[in-house]
Amino acid sequence: MLGTLLKIGKMGIKEYLQYKSVLFLFTLNRIIEVVVYIFVWYAIYNQTGQIEGFAINEIATYYILVVTLVPMSLWGINEDIAYSIRKGYITRELLNPISYFTYYFGKELGEMGFGLLTAICTFIVCNIFWTVLMPVNIWAFIAFICILLLNIPISYFLQMIVGTCGFYTNATWGMQILRKSIISIFSGLIAPLTMFPVAFQKVANILPFKEFFYTPINIYLGKIQGVEILFIIGKQLIWVLIMYVLAKVFFNKAVKKITINGG
Amino acid sequence: MTKIKDNISIYLSMLSCSIKSMMEYRVDFIVGIISQLLTQAVELIFIWIIFQNTQSLAGWTFDKLLLLYGITMLTIAIVDFLFDSIYDIGPKYIKDGDFDKLLLRPIHPLISVIGDTKTFTAFGYMAISLILIISMLIKLQIDITFMLVAKIIIFAFSGALIIGAIMIALSVTSFYTYKSNEIIWSVFRIYTFAQYPVEIYNKFIRILITFIFPFVFATYYPTLNYLGMENGWLMYLSPIVAIIFLIIAVKIWNWGLNKYRSTGN
Repeated sequence: MLGTLLKIGKMGIKEYLQYKSVLFLFTLNRIIEVVVYIFVWYAIYNQTGQIEGFAINEIATYYILVVTLVPMSLWGINEDIAYSIRKGYITRELLNPISYFTYYFGKELGEMGFGLLTAICTFIVCNIFWTVLMPVNIWAFIAFICILLLNIPISYFLQMIVGTCGFYTNATWGMQILRKSIISIFSGLIAPLTMFPVAFQKVANILPFKEFFYTPINIYLGKIQGVEILFIIGKQLIWVLIMYVLAKVFFNKAVKKITINGG
Repeated sequence: MTKIKDNISIYLSMLSCSIKSMMEYRVDFIVGIISQLLTQAVELIFIWIIFQNTQSLAGWTFDKLLLLYGITMLTIAIVDFLFDSIYDIGPKYIKDGDFDKLLLRPIHPLISVIGDTKTFTAFGYMAISLILIISMLIKLQIDITFMLVAKIIIFAFSGALIIGAIMIALSVTSFYTYKSNEIIWSVFRIYTFAQYPVEIYNKFIRILITFIFPFVFATYYPTLNYLGMENGWLMYLSPIVAIIFLIIAVKIWNWGLNKYRSTGN
């Protein structure tokens, strides 16, 4: 089972690396994205001498980690499911000896593998241009990785839910943008969540998206420590379960309606 | 000269065709606009956060920065509307072999490509930018005269031509790699640099967005002019930059076209 998953994942990475330039360009994209953030915050820091709760090095590291983590938190199989529904490949994929969910999870792992490659390249290149802080200690780094690993199923099931909408509408790409925007707003991607209004933070605390950026980066910087991390992992496990049930129920309901244009 | 005129008139009729076909898919149209509004919301939240931490950014207040943002969005909307199909040259036309069909037409293939643009996201950008521009002009107590409106429209178009020229020039890469969208997208994203005062950047980035990819002429200098700030006169160089870059871009494109080999589908 695991072997099959990894094989599917490997295939996905290979597909990407067919064009070596892709990795270079995706990394370039990440760097271009971080430039504005960093220069804006440096300008604010030079003017006011402080940013609430963050040293200038910390805020630069925060945003570099944000763009580094984007490939793993926002990318994924995305349109693949909607595409498989629209083109009718789904009829074949449902007959696969492994379940549809498992098959696409393998594909998701491939995407994550390529995302990880891009992330590592981005992180290294950013180190050339700016001073990036290292994790405060080895335990913080291990916790950082654990949180990121638990994000994979949450992000995957969420994409499954959005992809399943493909049974009802052809305009799923809009749903994808909706998904990305909501994650961007509630995850701390735009700015550390402590800078948002309190009411907003309360909503963000309940949703699972905070763990995509804000929480792991703060653990990395040593601002979240100890027992709190265990609570966060508990919260993530609950969300994995919720997302799994939602995705399964929705998919099983939708798949009964299957009618494919000329499939 | 008549050849250029013919090309332009054919282009215009193709454009009106694509608008009609866009309107056919109503759900896609609405979803497209809603998703565009959300993407904008994300960027506006960042600007809002900036001003929770400071009174002004390199001398720019919140209102002024929003005006710059609005002007940028208006230009981007026009770029989106006119040049979006440049992204398709590699993945759609060349990879599928459709490009050979275009070569047989009696008009320049570049016209065929950009005439085929079908993007409804542009309307979302347009709506947001107009709301922002008008409300910020009122808030900043700038008189909305006929002159100003004319300037905003003309220079938004000239800015869009600059960005379009850069996209055309970069799309030559698709003749070699059969996929061009990533490199165009990467450079296109640099426009976001010009959404903030150039004073915050270091020398390298200033040179990059002034001389190599002159996004500052597209959006930043025009905004300086509307606000009556220093260096606002540089806006008037924008149409010249646009023409120069367009000529270079078409030259590069024609040169790339000569090297083009069909994928053999």
